[in-house]
Amino acid sequence: MNPLRKQRVYALIAILVGSLLATWLIISALSQNMNLFYSPSEIKSQNIDFNSLIRAGGMVKEGTIKKDTETLKVSFVVTDYQNDLVINYEGILPDLFDENAGVVVRGNLNIDGTFNAIEVLAKHDENYMPPEVANLVNKEK
Amino acid sequence: MIPEIGHIILITHLVLSFLGGVMPLMAIFTKRDSLVLPIKRLSLFLFTLISLSFLSLVYSFLVDDFSVAYVAQNSNTNLPDYFKLAATWGAHEGSLVLWILAMNAWLISFIFLTPSTDKRFLASVFSISCQVIFAFSLFTLFTSNPFERILPIPPLNGADLNPSLQDIAFTVHPPLLYFGYSGLLIPFAIAVSAMLFDIDTKKWAGYARPWALMSCSFLTLGIALGSWWAYYELGWGGWWFWDPVENAAFVPWLLSVALFHSLITSQNRGVFGKWSLLLSIFAFATSLLGTFLVRSGILTSVHAFALDPERGVFLLGILAFFIIGSLTLYSLKEFKFESNTYELSSKEFGFLLNNLLLVVLAISILFGTLFPLLYEAYTDGKQISVGAPYFEIILFPFALALGLLQGIALYLSWGQSKSFSFLPRVLIESISFFALILLLLFVLFDNLYLSSFATIFLASWIIVGTLQVNNNRNIGYWYFLKKRFAVTFAHVGMAILTLGVGIVTSYSLEKEIILSPKESFEFGDQVVRFESIEDKVGPNFLSKSAIISFENGKNTSEVITEKRTYSPSGQLTTEAGIKAELFKDLYVSMGDNLETEIWSFKVQIKPFIRWIWLGALLIAIGSFFSGVRQIRRT
Repeated sequence: MNPLRKQRVYALIAILVGSLLATWLIISALSQNMNLFYSPSEIKSQNIDFNSLIRAGGMVKEGTIKKDTETLKVSFVVTDYQNDLVINYEGILPDLFDENAGVVVRGNLNIDGTFNAIEVLAKHDENYMPPEVANLVNKEK
Repeated sequence: MIPEIGHIILITHLVLSFLGGVMPLMAIFTKRDSLVLPIKRLSLFLFTLISLSFLSLVYSFLVDDFSVAYVAQNSNTNLPDYFKLAATWGAHEGSLVLWILAMNAWLISFIFLTPSTDKRFLASVFSISCQVIFAFSLFTLFTSNPFERILPIPPLNGADLNPSLQDIAFTVHPPLLYFGYSGLLIPFAIAVSAMLFDIDTKKWAGYARPWALMSCSFLTLGIALGSWWAYYELGWGGWWFWDPVENAAFVPWLLSVALFHSLITSQNRGVFGKWSLLLSIFAFATSLLGTFLVRSGILTSVHAFALDPERGVFLLGILAFFIIGSLTLYSLKEFKFESNTYELSSKEFGFLLNNLLLVVLAISILFGTLFPLLYEAYTDGKQISVGAPYFEIILFPFALALGLLQGIALYLSWGQSKSFSFLPRVLIESISFFALILLLLFVLFDNLYLSSFATIFLASWIIVGTLQVNNNRNIGYWYFLKKRFAVTFAHVGMAILTLGVGIVTSYSLEKEIILSPKESFEFGDQVVRFESIEDKVGPNFLSKSAIISFENGKNTSEVITEKRTYSPSGQLTTEAGIKAELFKDLYVSMGDNLETEIWSFKVQIKPFIRWIWLGALLIAIGSFFSGVRQIRRT
């Protein structure tokens, strides 16, 4: 083989192998780490697997935040103004978490219809709402 | 009056950048050389105009001119002067002006520092850059005018700068990042000009290389500062979140690294010419795409900027125009045949692998970042997010391969490497070094985690490989300082960063706990005690401030963590209390007030976290000086 052709073959093999590996990696990593977002109403109306990690969100309902003063356990209700969803969480809540603030939680559903959150997100600008929650609120208006 | 002057200057800048974008190219193509404008003077003039416009915005902030809407939204009379200055680029409109200023600064540096005698080439680079600057000025004036007035009744006081942005690191982070992003404009303009005027690969790559290095340096610093800021300001001790906005900076960074490595090959051997052209275009494209993602609010992100679809469409238009334009030029061009050949064991092939890995990694990360958009479009509004584990799974194998390559990269020769006799020695030494680090870790933390072995070995391998090459070739002290210190700094920096990431990921401890004053608990090898809590009054905030002590045998250290309520926004922020040491950080952030004096706290120990930013700093220094040296050489 002449040197130039050989060099092209090397490059081609490297590129092919590299991109195949990457594609495989992307697909397998993505299939495990896609978190779907559901509104409280969707959670009520759809059959969602209890084991799957999902995201949910809405506005925190007034007067529903219950904090346990000994164990860091907290529960609150989020609403999309149609249906409510009870969220349980253990840990410190973000600074911007408050009544009537938009939040997004990540976790899984319980059989009794409540939600176990492993992460609560509120954003670092008070005027800002997570886009998913903003969509929900705008739909209702 | 001053804001109006600033506005008029910005409009003048717009008109002038339009002329600069069109006239020189027209003059060249109609062969009327007399019409090629005096580009040195013109670039100086443009730079002066945008600086003046920027300064008048700064002035409006400093004198609390709340009749300017942008000032009213982002400042307040109580804000300390330094933060008033920084508030200038605290939100969308002002950062755009700074961005344009940065592009002009790069352009003027290029025009004055490039010793090329090819007038047509220089004029063309100037023209292309002016077109981009013009597009951004147009965007600023039409969708995001920072000088817009609230008339006839301006508010008495402003709404304040977002409290989490009132911070020294954060005031420096955006400018560095903008300089990094906008620096990629120069390689892009050079690549387009090289296609227009059939410039030899070796020549244009030599012109583009210093600017790719410089923008990589600024991007590195900007990203590292952002990470440091997030670490202590967001209050939960993370240093990288795989947030879309972080990815929007990380992807151009990866491509800028790929780009200057590819340019080295092109400049020295005249190969990878077409690849370097494409990479210049795409590095610039991703920096624009980053702007688009951040500014359009199209993705869920912790970085909050005003959501405005109109802005998004405008930016997408700019992106499409320049990328489609340059790619069309690329596809129409007939390329000369590259004749240099290389073997599998060559430096060229090493650079090819480096580029392949970096680019595929960049594409994979970009894909994960954009996937939620694609998914939403195809499933008619179903929303998903791609979690951090996706990016970690992707990053690991690439980082491993890149690190392994990096350890031997400096030994390779152009064309064909003669000998690999260095390999056993480097391998043995890096294994010894690896063992030494493990010993240190065991002494420090009484523990070894298998999960950190791969990254620690990788770091040793890169360090030994990089430093040993200087011994191997009997490089003298002066030669090292002159020729080798930049690459050594940058590569060792990469190793230190890798080490930091590996150790902090495996060795971190964290606990959320409820404490009342004087209560303590055991945490790792420390006894943590909640000493006391008091009220404090700051210039524009009230705070609850808690003193926490860490005791480890004879050593006691105290940190202060605060919960601040900023006026007038009423926004709550957490100030983490951090005791920073070379080998570990002690980190406390305040949680909720549960009963009168009982608070929850998040306590963390973060080993080697400083090394991440230290490594980034070395990379930035290395690439900066390498860039400076390249400018002197061309």
